Amino acid sequence: MNDSQLILTMFAAIGLGTPLIFATVGEIITERAGILNLGVQGMMLVGAVSGFWATFETGSLTLGVVVAMIAGAVFSLIHAFASITLRVSQIVSGLALTIFGTGLASFLGKAGSDPLVGEPSRETFEPLITGGIADWPVVGPLLFGHDLMVYVALVVAGAASYYLFRTRMGLSLRAVGEEPASAESAGVNVAWVRYAHVMVGGALAGLGGAYYSLALSPTWQDNPIGEAGWIAIALVILASWRPWRAIFAAYLFGAAVRIQFTLQTLGSPWSDVPSSLLAMLPFILAIVAMLALTSGKRARLLGAPAALGVPYFREER
Amino acid sequence: MTTRRFIVEPRGLASVRLSLLIPLISVLAALIVGGLFLALTGENPFSVYQHMVDAAFGSSRGVSETLISATPLILTGLAAAVAFKMLVWNIGAEGQFLLGAIFSSGIAIAMGDGAPAALVIPVVIVAGGIGGALWAGIAAIPRVYLGVNEIITTLMLNFIALNLMNYLIFGSSSPWRDPEVSTFPTGRPIPDSGRFPEFFNRLDLSFIIAVALALLAWYLVGKTRWGFEVRVVGDSADTARYAGISVPKKILGVFLLSGAFAGLAGGLYVAGPVGALDPRSLDLGLGFTGIIVAALARLNPVAVIPVAILMGALNNAGPSLQSIGVPPEIVLMLQGAILIFAVGGEFFIANRIRPREKVLEELSEEVEAA
Repeated sequence: MNDSQLILTMFAAIGLGTPLIFATVGEIITERAGILNLGVQGMMLVGAVSGFWATFETGSLTLGVVVAMIAGAVFSLIHAFASITLRVSQIVSGLALTIFGTGLASFLGKAGSDPLVGEPSRETFEPLITGGIADWPVVGPLLFGHDLMVYVALVVAGAASYYLFRTRMGLSLRAVGEEPASAESAGVNVAWVRYAHVMVGGALAGLGGAYYSLALSPTWQDNPIGEAGWIAIALVILASWRPWRAIFAAYLFGAAVRIQFTLQTLGSPWSDVPSSLLAMLPFILAIVAMLALTSGKRARLLGAPAALGVPYFREER
Repeated sequence: MTTRRFIVEPRGLASVRLSLLIPLISVLAALIVGGLFLALTGENPFSVYQHMVDAAFGSSRGVSETLISATPLILTGLAAAVAFKMLVWNIGAEGQFLLGAIFSSGIAIAMGDGAPAALVIPVVIVAGGIGGALWAGIAAIPRVYLGVNEIITTLMLNFIALNLMNYLIFGSSSPWRDPEVSTFPTGRPIPDSGRFPEFFNRLDLSFIIAVALALLAWYLVGKTRWGFEVRVVGDSADTARYAGISVPKKILGVFLLSGAFAGLAGGLYVAGPVGALDPRSLDLGLGFTGIIVAALARLNPVAVIPVAILMGALNNAGPSLQSIGVPPEIVLMLQGAILIFAVGGEFFIANRIRPREKVLEELSEEVEAA
């Protein structure tokens, strides 16, 4: 592999990792509140289609992003209601969100007399800076050659870390995820905190989805995100529930995706490595991480919220 | 704090009437949601639904194809039902299904055309169950002996299995790949001795086996000592321990049984209607649909049969919608909506909601009577 290919791979990895940062940070925030949401895939797809549609209708990327976030947040309310108010199985309710969202996004893309499917986006995210410092060797493209959302993702991850570990609200949030009963007796409204952070997770998943349809593959197709929602759930574990670590996990995964294409260009023997085996890697890594780090009591050290997935009953009977 | 106008109380044992009514309402509510989206996009929901009913049940061919679609769903439904009943969150039926398909097609190809069908068919069936159980074991053993959460591991194993199948067909010249086709790779056809006999159009033996396995599961969970102990563990692990039941062994057993059902689904599907390890016919989300089946059947193995037929009918009707210009994904939306309402409905089966005044009235009457 020569230098330019290495830089190209790293550059692409950052782009491919960006939507995963949004979705992973969103899921970390949701899980920190004690709610497991397996609906990430569905929320991302709903964000992808609604964001694409809004930009398609108005020509405004800003509006696309805002609509995608609102759609993701509103859609996540279904899961919030089922898991927080009705206290039914979070696992089943999250899967329901994914199944419904997957169907909904495809349906909306194809329905009507003038369907979106096959249409290119009217606007797409372009690099912020062209020429100048972005042309500097090596660091130029890697540091300055990206579109706005790449930098927004870094800010979101940093802000989420600060929020979780350095603010009063973040402390309440973590308390709700660890010991909801104690949090309640300290005056925290557990249900409210959980609703709010499920919606934050939904908004970020929607934003991540929209990055696919407005930047990475800006022509509407049936599933522009692949398996990104499921990968985000794996990355939460690899990031051990810490938003800033999600950046590295997401970029690493972006590199794993990109390297499949890079290997094809390098010729034999590199191009003989089957892409399906490389595609397994993040999932194998997630399982290994689960086995190595969450078995038995060590799960607590790692950062998995203690009350994750456990319904909270205000008046214990 | 504000006083609440309604009071939620646990109901205890749910009535039979309610546990039939809530799933029916769930389906109806999902049809209404789907209908709203259809109406919003300029379709007449009633004529779309009529078209779906005709496609799924309107002809003898339609009925047989519906039952073919239902067959793997009976088994993935059972996989979810037996596991969820014990709070074993095996959401890896998708991967176990694929491993069952890989094992069954592999053994059928290995045994070749010379072996007698009476030998090959039972071996193919058992291989599917073993494939699924082994794949489930990768998550089950760490869960039982190390306390590793099975939700994530089973979920991740789905994607590893999917890529494994893609590797066998697209990424290598494995024995599963058809050597005759080079342009777009596909699975090698299973020898005739490993295929199930058909008896009603394309419907084959696998449907009968699936129904028999559902009845067997009902007997196993409902009528045997093992099943009783499993149910005790599902209700309360502490009670089970106190009664001297080995909780880890029961969880492991249920987990592997669940995987075996999903594996059987894959094995019967390749040796039945599909006839080869064909990624395009196998990567359909049948494992996840099994979770919908189990939820709507309220984890009852016998109820899994009619619910699987309903879901199979939807899957069968989907592609026919293209002829009237309706996106077939309405089926996925309906299934997702059914699951949302079914899981939400569990709240109303488990709890009773009454106005505050009425509860207070009743309480004061009780006090007076005492």
